[in-house]
Amino acid sequence: MATETTSYTCISCPIGCPLQLEHEVDTIREVAGNNCDRGAKYARQEFTDPRRSFSTTIPIAGALHRRLPVRLSEPVPKDRILEAAQRIHLLSAEAPIRCGEVLLRDLLSIDGIDVVACRTMLPLE
Amino acid sequence: MNRRYDVVVIGGGPAGLGAALAALDAGTESVLVVEREPEAGGILRQCIHSGFGLHHFKEELTGPEYAERFVQKAIDRDIDVVPNAYVTGLALDSDDTRLVRVLSERDGLSTIECSSVVLAMGCRERTRGAIRIPGSRPAGVLTAGLAQKMVNMMGYLPGRRIAILGSGDIGLIMARRLVLEGCDVVGVFEILPYSNGLTRNVVQCLDDYGIPLHLSTTVAEIHGRDRVEAITVAPVGADLQPDMSKAWRETCDTLLLSIGLIPENELSQSIGANLDLVTGGPIVSSSMETSLPGVFACGNVLHVHDLVDFVTEEALRAGRFAGQWARGVRRPPDTVSLVPGRNVRYSVPHTLSPDRPHTIYLRCKERMQPCVLRVGDLINKKLSFVVPAEMIRLKIRPSLLDNFYGDRLTIDIDPRD
Amino acid sequence: MCAAVERRMYDVAIIGGGVVGCAIARELSRFALRTVLLEKDAEVGFGTSKTNSGIIHPGHHSSNETLKGRLVVPGNALFDQLHDELGFAFRRIGELTVARDKDEFGKLEEMKALGESKGVPGLEMWDRDKLNREEPNLSRSLVGALHAPSAGVINPYEFAFALIENAQANGLELRVDAPALDVDLRDDHLEVRTPQESVPARFVINCAGVFADRVANMVGLDDFAIHPRKGEEYLLDKRLRGVVRRLIFPVPTAVTKGILIIPTYDGTLMVGPTAEDTDDRYDVTTTREGAEKVFESVRKICPPIDERATIAEFAGLRAASTSGDFIIGPTSVRGFINVAGIQSPGLTASPAIARMVLDILRDEGLSLVENPDFDPTNEPPPRFEQQSVERREELASSDPGFGRMVCRCETVTEAEISFAIDRGARTLDGVKFRNRAGMGRCQGGFCTPRIMEMLAEKLDIPLHEVTKRGGGSWLVIPMESGGSNAEGDGPCSDE
Repeated sequence: MATETTSYTCISCPIGCPLQLEHEVDTIREVAGNNCDRGAKYARQEFTDPRRSFSTTIPIAGALHRRLPVRLSEPVPKDRILEAAQRIHLLSAEAPIRCGEVLLRDLLSIDGIDVVACRTMLPLE
Repeated sequence: MNRRYDVVVIGGGPAGLGAALAALDAGTESVLVVEREPEAGGILRQCIHSGFGLHHFKEELTGPEYAERFVQKAIDRDIDVVPNAYVTGLALDSDDTRLVRVLSERDGLSTIECSSVVLAMGCRERTRGAIRIPGSRPAGVLTAGLAQKMVNMMGYLPGRRIAILGSGDIGLIMARRLVLEGCDVVGVFEILPYSNGLTRNVVQCLDDYGIPLHLSTTVAEIHGRDRVEAITVAPVGADLQPDMSKAWRETCDTLLLSIGLIPENELSQSIGANLDLVTGGPIVSSSMETSLPGVFACGNVLHVHDLVDFVTEEALRAGRFAGQWARGVRRPPDTVSLVPGRNVRYSVPHTLSPDRPHTIYLRCKERMQPCVLRVGDLINKKLSFVVPAEMIRLKIRPSLLDNFYGDRLTIDIDPRD
Repeated sequence: MCAAVERRMYDVAIIGGGVVGCAIARELSRFALRTVLLEKDAEVGFGTSKTNSGIIHPGHHSSNETLKGRLVVPGNALFDQLHDELGFAFRRIGELTVARDKDEFGKLEEMKALGESKGVPGLEMWDRDKLNREEPNLSRSLVGALHAPSAGVINPYEFAFALIENAQANGLELRVDAPALDVDLRDDHLEVRTPQESVPARFVINCAGVFADRVANMVGLDDFAIHPRKGEEYLLDKRLRGVVRRLIFPVPTAVTKGILIIPTYDGTLMVGPTAEDTDDRYDVTTTREGAEKVFESVRKICPPIDERATIAEFAGLRAASTSGDFIIGPTSVRGFINVAGIQSPGLTASPAIARMVLDILRDEGLSLVENPDFDPTNEPPPRFEQQSVERREELASSDPGFGRMVCRCETVTEAEISFAIDRGARTLDGVKFRNRAGMGRCQGGFCTPRIMEMLAEKLDIPLHEVTKRGGGSWLVIPMESGGSNAEGDGPCSDE
């Protein structure tokens, strides 16, 4: 069977290695161009099930700022980012919130993807 | 806030907090951090995306998480942080005493005595005036960082249909951020033939969302009486001037500018610190000391970084030396000057001392691949590519300087086959 | 009109709140009159006045044959007293008209004679040596200059704000966002219609600037037209402060007074203006060509000035009339007085124009009885940056607002922003033009959010209703996301 090459730019770190993934239909043969293991892992993941993480904010009451930054504990499937963002945007919080606090479990009903507070916000005195 | 501290750090962002912690580690007893915002943490507080900390913490954090780790350490170590405070002046009183005039909501205008000072005021964004975009002056033209603050901290959108001039990282990050908030991003326009931000940000902030990146293209005119209604964009020639015969119009209500950052050195200038005209920051020795004895600098006030991890690394060094200074340690002056050569825009620090290891930060002038980085005859390092948007970090072991007796080392980046 | 509210007749309605309208309003507030000023924008001074170069001209550039030539010297002379009374920033820094060759030097001699005949004080010819000594950064190729010490600089918008504040304190009624839509003729008065109301007045003064011909058309007058002439100005970084100490003019030609170097009151250099006719009365765009013209011209006179030092640029429209001169006087429509075609040196002449309008009103039968409560003075709030260290310490300890630096480029404290809003600022530009917050290097990059919050708090409006300069110049949209928890699964508790 013919071997094909798909190119990616690694987003695992700021170096941004140009990656080439060789595959025969769905079977991965080799990853080249990576400077570290994360690159190979990224290319394989990107080929089989591309995922992304992102941050956004939700409203918070009683704190210094009006918005609480939140992130995902694990990336979501790339084609469901907007859906995930819309779901998170239905949340709201109230001070105090601790950095790392889980605000929503199993986002989009996917096990293990939680919405997590990125900072501590104490109540205003 | 007391009347006297060993070290006063101006600025409570990652640079300032890192320096303050390192000054304590160096054995000083009292450190004051002067912060202009209501809380420490700096601009990272509004950089809610992840990508920070891979070097320093060996894990990927969001900006607020990275900031919070340092804020928490400062609290744990009892560092005085005075928020809503602004340094109105700085004076060198004697060899041992610097006077810092601090204006704050809490304490009014007061004078603090200290032994050493760390400048960590960060940078500001270049504005429309700096690049002189012709056209009208409606509301809706703002820097990407201001938009970031509005969206991430205040909960307001800068507009609905957004164009972005400049492909700096903040602009790329904001493109994605605004799409997630339901805005249309009509495109990112970059005057240079390559992106000014990190490649991975082009991939995950633009490509993932189908946002076009127009290279070698600029905004030639802004339209709209009260609010931005449209922009004229045009490709540029080799002289970077727009070719109006190929111009087109993009309808939008907002133009974000992500066209570069400038170290904020008005205070440094007012006290007579010598500045590097290329970096816009102070000239510093290998101990991060400016031309003024006992005044140190680190972070974006010194030169604009792409990665906060390197800010921290630099800050820890500046703080350590500022702390040592406060304890009475005086170092002999550096003996080797480090000079940017071929395809090197700048390098920091500006001088070296043969007695200890160094970390040098530099930027190239233009993209080159593959290439070789040379430091005099001492280092010959092959690199696959260099781009101006990505700072190069280079370690120099003290043994390398053992057999070097010159007073000048030139850094060059040359092509290789 | 509701019968319960008696609709009282105004003695005078002024259409247009530029410096001319504001100066007239302030002059009228000396008398026991009921006066209203109708301004189309969100604040006074937001039209042509805001973009004026801010020069108080000595008067030797124009002859006494024109009205504008006659009003400029007396106008200039009134500024010391106005400055003392109203507290706006004003300094006589002097002006140099520089000659590039012998011919031009000859023209300077003619200007000197003209100026002396008009009573312009202190005119003096400077040779090359003196010029080099006094202004060492000017081109060495200049052969000499005419020095006019009575030239001054002000911030024109600040002048408008100071005038209107004093007029209001003395009883003037100000309506903003109130463009005149039409003027109706009645038996014994005129009615000015705005979107909000119909304003009856015995006298209407048309100071509508670039729209003055359209306002005149509303009462059927069509004996003049306004042909706006655009001027672009470029504001330079503070680091060029002191490169020149005086206003620098080239020798004027028949067409233009040329591109000037203006050390503004605040010390920042400004270069411009261009002069281009335009048909569009809203065209305040800057252009690539304009910038080239300005910097090419300025570099020849002062080589160290570099276009890369630009921090802001703007354009304004001169309300030039078909006659080329000021058009000031009563008209065939009883009670309707034109104060139109006020182009350069209109800012300098404005106090003299206001006095002239008083005489016209008196001649037209308005009885001017002194207002016994008239107080000619404003008490401007302190500018923190300009105080002595002791005074700053005092201010910061007495009012925490002075302890909070909001605009760090121009060092403007929260207290000063509060004062600006208390004194009429309703927009970001209104704050900026009252105390320079947001006008510096970062152009509001850092301070805009706080100033928006303060405007929202003090004006009691939501943040998204704060504008840059009124009208449709909105700044932000509230985010829709968040808060509803529609699916019922709220935040988890900390585990």
